[in-house]
Amino acid sequence: MKSNQRGAVATKLALALLFLLGLALAYQGLSAQKSYNESGFSAEGAFQAIYHLSEQVESDWNELLRPGLEALPEEKQAALDALAKDLLTAFWRERAGEGAELSDFLPQEGDREALHKLLYISYTVGGPKVSASVKKAVENGGAEVSAALLLAAADESAPVPESAEAALKKLDGAERQGMLMQLYYRSLARSSAIKTEDVNSFKKGVRDKSMQLNALRMIAGRELTPLRQFIASRSRTVILAGILLALDALALAFMMGADRVWRFDFKWLIILAIVDFLLLFQLMPLIFTIVKAFFPDGHFSMETFRRLYSYSLNFGALKNTLAAAFATMLLGTLFAFPLAWLVGRTNLYGRQFFRSLFVLTYMVPPYVGAMAWLRLLNPNVGTVNQWLRALLHLGSTPGPLNVYSLPGLVWVLSTFYYPYAFITISRAMEKMDPSLEEASRAAGASPLKALLSVTLPLMTPSLISGALLVFVSAASCYGIPSIIGVPGRVHTVTTRIVEYVSLGQQGLNDATGLSVFLLALALLILFVSDIVLEKRQYITVSGKSVQPALVDLRRFRLPLTILVSLFAVVVILIPFATIFATSFKIDVGKSMFLKTNFTLSNWKTIFGRSETISCLKNSLLYATVTATVGIIVACTMSYLLQRTRIRGRKLPDFLITLGSATPSVVIALSLIMTMKGNFGVNIYNTAYIMIIAYLIKYLMMGMRTVVSAMSQVHVSLEESSQIAGASWLRTMFRITGRLIFPSIAAGWFLIFIPSFYELSMTTLLYSSTTKTIGFQLYEYWTFTSQPMACAMAFGILMFVVLLNFLLGRLTRGQFSI
Amino acid sequence: MIRIKNLVKSFDGTPVIRRFDAEFQDAEFITLLGPSGCGKTTILRMIAGFEIPSSGEIWFDDQLVAGGKAFLPPEKRSIGMVFQSYAVWPHMNVYDNVAYPLQIRRLPKDEIRAKVEKILETVHLAQYKERLPSQLSGGQQQRIALARALVAEPKILLLDEPLSNLDAKLRESMRFEIRDLTRALGIAVVYVTHDQTEAMAMSDRIFLLNNGVIQQSGSPDEIYNKPVNPFVADFLGKVDFFSGTAADGQIRIPAWNAALPLPEDAQQGKVILAVRPENIRIRKPGGGIPGTLSRMVYLGDTTDCRVTVGSATVRVVADGAFRRAFREGDAVSLEILEHMVFPDDGSTQEQLRIRT
Repeated sequence: MKSNQRGAVATKLALALLFLLGLALAYQGLSAQKSYNESGFSAEGAFQAIYHLSEQVESDWNELLRPGLEALPEEKQAALDALAKDLLTAFWRERAGEGAELSDFLPQEGDREALHKLLYISYTVGGPKVSASVKKAVENGGAEVSAALLLAAADESAPVPESAEAALKKLDGAERQGMLMQLYYRSLARSSAIKTEDVNSFKKGVRDKSMQLNALRMIAGRELTPLRQFIASRSRTVILAGILLALDALALAFMMGADRVWRFDFKWLIILAIVDFLLLFQLMPLIFTIVKAFFPDGHFSMETFRRLYSYSLNFGALKNTLAAAFATMLLGTLFAFPLAWLVGRTNLYGRQFFRSLFVLTYMVPPYVGAMAWLRLLNPNVGTVNQWLRALLHLGSTPGPLNVYSLPGLVWVLSTFYYPYAFITISRAMEKMDPSLEEASRAAGASPLKALLSVTLPLMTPSLISGALLVFVSAASCYGIPSIIGVPGRVHTVTTRIVEYVSLGQQGLNDATGLSVFLLALALLILFVSDIVLEKRQYITVSGKSVQPALVDLRRFRLPLTILVSLFAVVVILIPFATIFATSFKIDVGKSMFLKTNFTLSNWKTIFGRSETISCLKNSLLYATVTATVGIIVACTMSYLLQRTRIRGRKLPDFLITLGSATPSVVIALSLIMTMKGNFGVNIYNTAYIMIIAYLIKYLMMGMRTVVSAMSQVHVSLEESSQIAGASWLRTMFRITGRLIFPSIAAGWFLIFIPSFYELSMTTLLYSSTTKTIGFQLYEYWTFTSQPMACAMAFGILMFVVLLNFLLGRLTRGQFSI
Repeated sequence: MIRIKNLVKSFDGTPVIRRFDAEFQDAEFITLLGPSGCGKTTILRMIAGFEIPSSGEIWFDDQLVAGGKAFLPPEKRSIGMVFQSYAVWPHMNVYDNVAYPLQIRRLPKDEIRAKVEKILETVHLAQYKERLPSQLSGGQQQRIALARALVAEPKILLLDEPLSNLDAKLRESMRFEIRDLTRALGIAVVYVTHDQTEAMAMSDRIFLLNNGVIQQSGSPDEIYNKPVNPFVADFLGKVDFFSGTAADGQIRIPAWNAALPLPEDAQQGKVILAVRPENIRIRKPGGGIPGTLSRMVYLGDTTDCRVTVGSATVRVVADGAFRRAFREGDAVSLEILEHMVFPDDGSTQEQLRIRT
């Protein structure tokens, strides 16, 4: 007992220290930040401003400046040192004004490195002006010109390269030598590490000259200790890390205190790591977005909302979103329920085939459907319209059907979101005790009567939850309205958000107002759906389900099968065939069977263009990283949820569920607003921000799969391995891992596939180097060529089908989507 | 030898084991018996190392495996264990399941083969070694689990209700198989069950638990015939309770309107009389305690009788031939061959109600 108590005291002490360390870090960061914000004589602030620049100067010094300098004879080097000192003094004298005590700031003559670096920075930031033609000439001059320029600067009598002569006219003495140095630096510019943007941000960051001066002194004199330099250069990150550290220590103390076990458990570290990740990249951005909407300039104001919704375009978008989502919910459920019943509970011909077919649609990128229906129902050249006009002798007026309308949008949304309801309902159907239906038949009810009086009421919870899922998915969809709605002036909240984001800072603020609406809608529905289903159970899959007796459709068997087939043809076959056919066309309005209209060039182009290849590489890479990181987190979470009783394990579970319920555009917007350095993390325009967004959105898909698999592995299977002498790790690999491997693989693919072709978040987060295949397709569709986009879409489709096949193989048919 | 001292375990502040002290000898067959929720499985899991005691110590010979700061994880304890669900790994065939503990101990391949084949022979599974567990019956899976637990020749074997998922016939034959096998191997067995017949049939010593407390420990004979309280008497075998008053070497039972002799060591005052149905003989009227044979159910080897005595009903187990001599409604006389007396402190009803 004694030693336990001592351990407890040590643990408490360690936690307290951790907490204080966190606070100290946050304080240090804050004070560094404050000194940066105050424009004044502040060493840290100045240092922070030039931090990035100085790092680059370091590499320029090593790779360009020092080699050039050391290539000169000894006495020329000394002459250059003296010149640098003179030029520096002149340069800063001009800026600091008379009276300023320069000797404090400028390096002494002996400190060659400091002298040259400081001059280099000074001239990079604001050296003598050089005309564009000379600049170009010296930049292209190569190493010889550089060497000659340096020599001429060191020795006034040395010859000057021809290309530089124009700049030296009318100059003499110090001015001439200064210009030579400037030209020398210019000639190096091509291989220099310093980027123009950094110079500009440096100029902006170091607002007044005294600060510039001080900043330069920092580089030259290295007055800050390395620790202070570290804090100053990353003050926001340090604040963030400090706050998180303090929070973690508090959380640990809370968890240990609640259990009264003051013993450190490694699992807490894992939980904290996941929670910290989600807090930082999911919750904090979301909260910031909401706060920003209500406090646009630091004070509470409904101004953003007033401005937004008094603009008829936005108000219309709001109405469109609600109307489209509601209609899609009705239509989608109307498709889904009879299909789920026919496929799940009756002796329909080919029910297994239809089942996998309808579920497969779930994995198709929604924008592909939009593209197909656009080709079919375009008022002028849509295939269906052309047929109808020919059939009804309507002449050449546009129509009769127009996809660019609210009903068009609803139709396409419905054909792509009904699988959501279908999956939810058919799962419930398969679990329903068939004897309930049989009892109703025994009591004398017809199959239809039994369906309506027993099955339907029993299915109500899953029917509602499936319908709500369709509603919220349709409301947060961007891919379909961006392709169909925008050209038809049928705006939705998601398309408006994306448009606002492209408008810059003010647009971002307005986008938050729209996002809050979308987010509130999604969370409300998550909440309602949870109440309807009470609690989603993962375990429902387990247990030996009775194979339900099938309802005999008798004389309706064939007609109903034909009806279902017809539905499949209209909703799946025709759109995909259209995509396929369009990919071989030159003129989208004409048949592909015309000799003059058939081409393979679209396919050649998409497989040949280096840009497409690099987008494909990006997509594969990001999706692989997302799926791999995601599945590791999913496995860890499953273990915590299924195998431990550790306090706090539900928190990451909740956050992950919340993340997946958040509309994609809202996730992307909130990341844009918080991840560009203003909170200490700058991943804007990088691949990381995209991977993080995908993770937040799709992590739950993988987690659910693994959790439900692990819940079916009885703990005693693991315990008997431990009893046999196997370590925890070995048990995990040889027993649990092996048993749930199919689910781990399935979970990986469930994260991989949607990340691979993602569009909504990518549209907001991509940069020129991080374009993905989904975005590229969208660009092709909108700006380049629809047939080419169709070729890409079909390629993506084939890839998804291939992955699905692979998954079925890998898991011996246990899983395929 | 396993020594357990002052073992206490609570979950989230609720005590499950209030206090458990015991010493299990080498080669002894110990049964932890009790109703569900009495804590017997928790004790077994603490011996195995799946639960950490809240306080107290567990020693294997001279090694402290749990207690204070010391804790030896299950995989380091070198024990065998059979689970209620068998826990046979569905992705490995019979041979791989049984070979697993030896593979972990990095034994040479041919040694593993020899040992696995020997143990499979012992449990009569030699011809099934290539099969997957799903292709075998419950009893066969049970024997895989047993073989796997024994293959590494542990000194201690833990069994957690291993027979409860088997049908009645198989259960009976497995009882003897397990008993004979472990006796032949000379290992210590800790066996958890809620089935008193199993406990009686197999054990050297029984620990009867209720509510996290040992009620009584001893040989099956001691526990059955000399129960220390009504709960023990009730849990093992059949028994009827009647309240009475002990005075002057006699127990009066108001409900019977009769009296029985008081055993010498029993105390005076309010008492509970406990009689087992097989310890009563039914005779023709005259002498003994008068009553009426109210019901008679023929069960083949025995006859289950109800006799009304005064205002009470007494169960009696008679032999199979009994029904030829009597019929329902006959006046009879009861002879009590053996009876037990417990002091009545008013808690008996509560104790008995705990039984599930």
